[in-house]
Amino acid sequence: MAPEPPAKSLKPKSTPKAVGDFTILPLTLPTLSGLPEHHQDAKHYLYIKAHEPSIPTADDERSLFLANIPIDATESNLRTLFADQLGGAMVESVEFDSSIPARTLHKRFKSSEGSREDAQQQRGKKRKRNHATEQAMIAEGVVEDEDSALPQLWHGALRRSGSGAVVVFVDKKSARGALKEVQKAVVQGRKVAWKSGETTTALGVDRYKSHTTLTYPSPSVLQSSINAYLTQFNALETLRNRHRKTARSVPDEEGFVTVTRGGRAGPARIAEAEKKQAELEERKKNNGVKDDFYRFQNREKRKEQEGLLKRRFEDDRRRVESMRERRGRVRPEA
Amino acid sequence: MALPATKRRKLEHSGSEDESEGSFADFDDANGVQLDESDAEEDLADGSDVSMNGAEEVDNSEDLSDEEEEESDEGESTHKTEKQAPVAAITNGSKPHKRPATSLQDGVYTAETFKSNMFKLQVDELLEQIKPKYGRKEAPAENAMRTLKTIIEQIPSRDALPIPAAEKTLKSAGVTIPFPSPHPPKDALYKLQYERPASVNATGSYPLKTTTRAEDELSIDLVVTMPKALLQEKDYLNHRYFYKRAYYLACVAAGIKASKDHKFDLSFDCLNGNQLQPILVVRPSGNGDADDFSSSKSQIHILVTLPENIFPQNKLLPNSNCVRPKGGEDEASSKALPATPFYNNTLQSDANITAYLKLLHATASKADAFKDACILGRVWLKQRGFGSRLRKGGFGNFEWAAIMALLLQPNVGTGAQSLASGYSSYQLFKATLQFLSRGDLTKKPFIFQALNITVPKVETAPVVFDGPRGQNILFKMTPWSYSRLRLEAKATVDMLGESVFDQFDAAFILKTELSKYRYDATLEVPLAAFDLATIDESRDQRLRDVCRKIYNTLTSALTDRVKAISFTMPEEDVWSISSRRAHEKPGKSILVNIATDPANASRTVDHGPSAENKQDAAAFRKFWGEKAELRRFKDGSILESVVWSFKETSASVLEQIVSYVLKQHLGAQVAEQATFVSDAFAHLVTAGRIQGASGVAPFLPIMNAFSAMEKDIRDLEDLPLHLRHIRAADPQLRYASVDTPSAGHPPASVVLQFEGSGRWPDDLCAIQRTKIAFLLRLSELLSNLESGYVAHVGLENPSQPAQNQAFLDVTVSTGFTFRIRIYHDREVTLFERQLKDKTLDAPSRESAAASLALYKREFIQSPLHSQVLQTLSTRFPALSPAIRLTKQWFATHLLSPHLASELIELFVIRTFLQPHPWPVPSTATTGFLRTLAWISRWDWRHVPLVVDFSSTFSANPAELAKATSQGMKPEDLERLQTRFEAWRRIDPAMNRVVLFAATNLDEEGTTWTDKAQPEKVVAARLTALAKAATQAVRADEDRLLSHINAKGAAGKEALSPESLFITNVEEYDIVITINAKHTLKSSKKRKSEPHFKNLDLQKSTRSEAASTPLPQLFAQELLEVYGDAVLWFWDPLSLDRIVGLWNPVVTGQRSWKIKAGWNSEPIKKKDGVDIKANKMAIVNEIRRLGGDMIKGIVTKRSS
Repeated sequence: MAPEPPAKSLKPKSTPKAVGDFTILPLTLPTLSGLPEHHQDAKHYLYIKAHEPSIPTADDERSLFLANIPIDATESNLRTLFADQLGGAMVESVEFDSSIPARTLHKRFKSSEGSREDAQQQRGKKRKRNHATEQAMIAEGVVEDEDSALPQLWHGALRRSGSGAVVVFVDKKSARGALKEVQKAVVQGRKVAWKSGETTTALGVDRYKSHTTLTYPSPSVLQSSINAYLTQFNALETLRNRHRKTARSVPDEEGFVTVTRGGRAGPARIAEAEKKQAELEERKKNNGVKDDFYRFQNREKRKEQEGLLKRRFEDDRRRVESMRERRGRVRPEA
Repeated sequence: MALPATKRRKLEHSGSEDESEGSFADFDDANGVQLDESDAEEDLADGSDVSMNGAEEVDNSEDLSDEEEEESDEGESTHKTEKQAPVAAITNGSKPHKRPATSLQDGVYTAETFKSNMFKLQVDELLEQIKPKYGRKEAPAENAMRTLKTIIEQIPSRDALPIPAAEKTLKSAGVTIPFPSPHPPKDALYKLQYERPASVNATGSYPLKTTTRAEDELSIDLVVTMPKALLQEKDYLNHRYFYKRAYYLACVAAGIKASKDHKFDLSFDCLNGNQLQPILVVRPSGNGDADDFSSSKSQIHILVTLPENIFPQNKLLPNSNCVRPKGGEDEASSKALPATPFYNNTLQSDANITAYLKLLHATASKADAFKDACILGRVWLKQRGFGSRLRKGGFGNFEWAAIMALLLQPNVGTGAQSLASGYSSYQLFKATLQFLSRGDLTKKPFIFQALNITVPKVETAPVVFDGPRGQNILFKMTPWSYSRLRLEAKATVDMLGESVFDQFDAAFILKTELSKYRYDATLEVPLAAFDLATIDESRDQRLRDVCRKIYNTLTSALTDRVKAISFTMPEEDVWSISSRRAHEKPGKSILVNIATDPANASRTVDHGPSAENKQDAAAFRKFWGEKAELRRFKDGSILESVVWSFKETSASVLEQIVSYVLKQHLGAQVAEQATFVSDAFAHLVTAGRIQGASGVAPFLPIMNAFSAMEKDIRDLEDLPLHLRHIRAADPQLRYASVDTPSAGHPPASVVLQFEGSGRWPDDLCAIQRTKIAFLLRLSELLSNLESGYVAHVGLENPSQPAQNQAFLDVTVSTGFTFRIRIYHDREVTLFERQLKDKTLDAPSRESAAASLALYKREFIQSPLHSQVLQTLSTRFPALSPAIRLTKQWFATHLLSPHLASELIELFVIRTFLQPHPWPVPSTATTGFLRTLAWISRWDWRHVPLVVDFSSTFSANPAELAKATSQGMKPEDLERLQTRFEAWRRIDPAMNRVVLFAATNLDEEGTTWTDKAQPEKVVAARLTALAKAATQAVRADEDRLLSHINAKGAAGKEALSPESLFITNVEEYDIVITINAKHTLKSSKKRKSEPHFKNLDLQKSTRSEAASTPLPQLFAQELLEVYGDAVLWFWDPLSLDRIVGLWNPVVTGQRSWKIKAGWNSEPIKKKDGVDIKANKMAIVNEIRRLGGDMIKGIVTKRSS
């Protein structure tokens, strides 16, 4: 996308209209009470460009990339922004860089075949699409579906300050149109207002009050989610065990066979292994040559101790020296 | 002159008699001849004695590389006497500090002769710093001394005159004779006369080279010996000698004053504040002429002494009387007269000035480390506020040196072990302290080389009787100064005996005698309250008696409530030579400092003798007056007793007692004018003052509720698994929360562990879900009990499915809420396995590492820490209030969000477990102030915090036996040090680990401080705040001192405790004020509400668990939203405002970047676009996020 060249400045104190590929869209912020006087005409700056990820996907053409979104940006208020003030392009979905509380993080294996699908790219709805592959990739638990997920603790998420989002429009045309409209608005210096919210993602006291309530879900909801989770987990565990069994017989590229759980006798507990190890060492110590048997051993030991003493002394001297450098003189406090 | 020195060394093991004879000869020589020689410079510097030896050392200290000379000296002596070789070898080894470069050899030696390498190296450093160089700086003073000597020797003789005539003549010369009191009778038969002195010499520590530069002003003693002809045999009686001495001194003063060519500033003072011994103080005139020695920063004291062996020794023994009542001056009656030990000893001390100089000199040349040990002693005494002056305790540098010298003498007859001359300075220092701390010298005198010495009953001072010189070295001490000396010596011996931590700073660097740190209560009594001024003649004596009375009264009234009582007396002033000694300035006061025993201090009942014991009971009643009452106690005994009231608001028990007994025994006037301050900061937290015998009383309700709940859970039969244990993991359950928990308090975390079972899933996420199932079951079972439990399962960590997902808030019938989390020990293993699993991707392993750290912290370290703190709090009654006060301080300065609660607790625990040089704090105030003082000194960039809990458990090994095997060893400390240094190497910019705090139970050192908790700026701010507070405390200490000395402190206000708890938000960039509806009520407001309000609260909150305050949630979201772009601070106890600082490193103007990590504003530049933080938009965002919770936001205009 070719951005607008930095055009003739309309105001005496001009802000740039573009940077790199990005068009800079100033948003007028709502006037609020309780703020210092000079903050009333504050502007927020969105950086907008066509979405061109390094690893292309099918949706790229109908997507725009927004950087530096407000912390209270949501799918719905971005949708409204484009619909009401920027030419009415239809937004299909929005994928955010970051969210607070953060998205559920599953530990995953380094993917062998699916490595192109980098963890960061696996956003939102895509995940549902490859639920099966997803399940195989994660290292623990299961990827929750609606039944097995725990209830949400927050109504709506916040964004980290200065994070970005990809806005996917219904089609390529809408995306192009939206960007054009943005550029036009910038050139014309049209006022675009940021409207933070509607009722579902209330901020302020309501947000925190609702969180307090959500923190304690009803026992029945919890119980059913746990039941669903454990059922899914058991199913997956069977699957994984089968996978492990095959892994056991397949040597890796260096020719080693990975030892995994689930053998005939069951795995040895680490604690037991350590105990055996300790026993072995104990035996070795008792049977081995005593270290004060030969004269040379004693001599070496003595030498070593002397060396240690010397090293300690040097260490201490260094410490005192550095102390002196830092503190200056050693002087009794007056 | 080197030869005699050698000879002395050789004679080391022979009898001391010969030896001192030998050195006496030297002295006489020197005294007679050398002073007239032209090169008097060295002589004076050297005390006119042993000049070769002295000169060599001057060279040495001036030119440190001059080792050759010393070597050759050693060589020479070995040539001469083969016998001496081994001795030389020993001394060689034990005085390594004389060499400029320390070699390995020293390291080996120090293993035995010094505490540790570190200790020795620091001692060397110290000695080098504080020894005067005897160079250019001191030269003017030495010059002045030579001039004075010449002047004094040329003063013309004066004929013998009767006293009134003598006074008159001198009056015309502008000098008033500083007669001691009582004033000599006008009709005395003897006459006063002046003749050229027998000798004029330098004496004291200056020529001995045991002085230090650390003192404000160097004082050099010049001793003028009266000629024998002036004195008669009987002059020792009835102050006669002292009158003659005073006249002689006045003549010297007149002579110096009359000198036309030389101008000095002259005044009188008393030697060590002993009014019998006036001295002449010579100060520089300050006019810049040849005699002005201002640049030396010193003053010269001219002492008058009598030649040796003038008076019969046996008349001056401590038990004889030398002050006869008028009219009865015959020998026969003297037996019945009370002994005058103080008078006798004063006289002897005058006679012995030269004798002691010789002794010290001889000792110094015999034991090489003697001088250094003297200097160490000097520093030690100074830091503890001891001095030779009567009012400073009567134990100063001279007493230290003399005792050490005596101990170095071969000792016949007594059992005390003398020191070996081969000892290192540290060994000498420590052994001397041991001697001082060991026995009670008031009860069992130490008598050195003398037989048949009886100590008279009137003697109250401790006795170290030096036979050969016939003097009690400690005659100036009082019972209280001696008991303080013993305590301090004992404390130092104990801390030097500790093997793990290096106590150098505590021994020498820290100023110990600071009433705010050392003592828990102070009583200030103005001198005016005693009407001392009316009886001028004996006011010194009167004052001493008053002090004794106060001391005795307080000691018998306070019994075991106090551990130490010490007096800080106002300083005496010098007075002009033309006037009589002036009255003490009005407005001066005595300060009585009291160290309390927290276990007994607030006891409300004192038991006296049983009623049947008539005699004791009568004495008890006499002492306590109307307060005494006869009571019958539970055990059936009927005892005399006194009862005090305890109320949070009223005066402390201690104060009640003190003011009562003062009134009872010293009169209403004294009691009225006295001011008593104790535990001044305690009222800043609820129940800050220790109640009863422990500081944990206000926590008993919640602790009881907790154990009741534990029992109930244990008794639940339908739980799928048995309970192994349930442990506290919350400040409220370890007596460490600022507010004492009452219904409606924030939930107190506890950790529950079930018996092991194989049925747990082996997967972290599944474990978390299983835990929820357990919690649901537990909640159900508890709700079914009929004990009024209300339980709710709550969720947490929504984005980390492998971390703990849920807790159970249980509110018990008394209104307390506990937050139960389940601990399953398999989780650690699973996290560790993930950490090592190479098949996992990087973010997952990072997450595993973070989760593991969190897990260990929450489920392992926090319960352990709580358990330790519970034990410590019952062991140290003042610990809990001190922690709570310190936390309040952190909260008001908005630092609490940045420091883990446990970390602040460790700071305070350190103060209690490593209290040196003071004893363990006994009140919240001392604990708090000392913690701040330590924080202000803590160089956290280079020094780790290491706390050794184990030292405290030696008494009770059964507890925590598993976790703590033994006390920490030096190796352990070494290991922690290495770990700390490794962290600093890995992360030199301190982005991740700023403070390093390890304990013997937690060797990680980063459990409470990892992830920059606090960040470097916050740590720096903490240090700055602590420094400011400590300075304010020190300034107040100085104010108090000048106040009791009536030195224009009237304008200065006393430090109010509140002033340390005021924070200034003006320096912050963003100040968000929270709507009053949502802030927390401060603890004080809550307290003042009527008590039954709690019950209301209880009813209303019973059904729902107490939740996190909304502004707290808001603040936490701000942290997450703005990351490191803004640093947020708030007070979690009030939550009335949240303030922020822009991180200048992050949010400064920079070149364009898409993901800056903060809300940016583009700025046009010539060659492109820059961005900077869009501060106005951010403030707008915050306002939107906070909504109605925010009352207003103020920003600093500068940006």
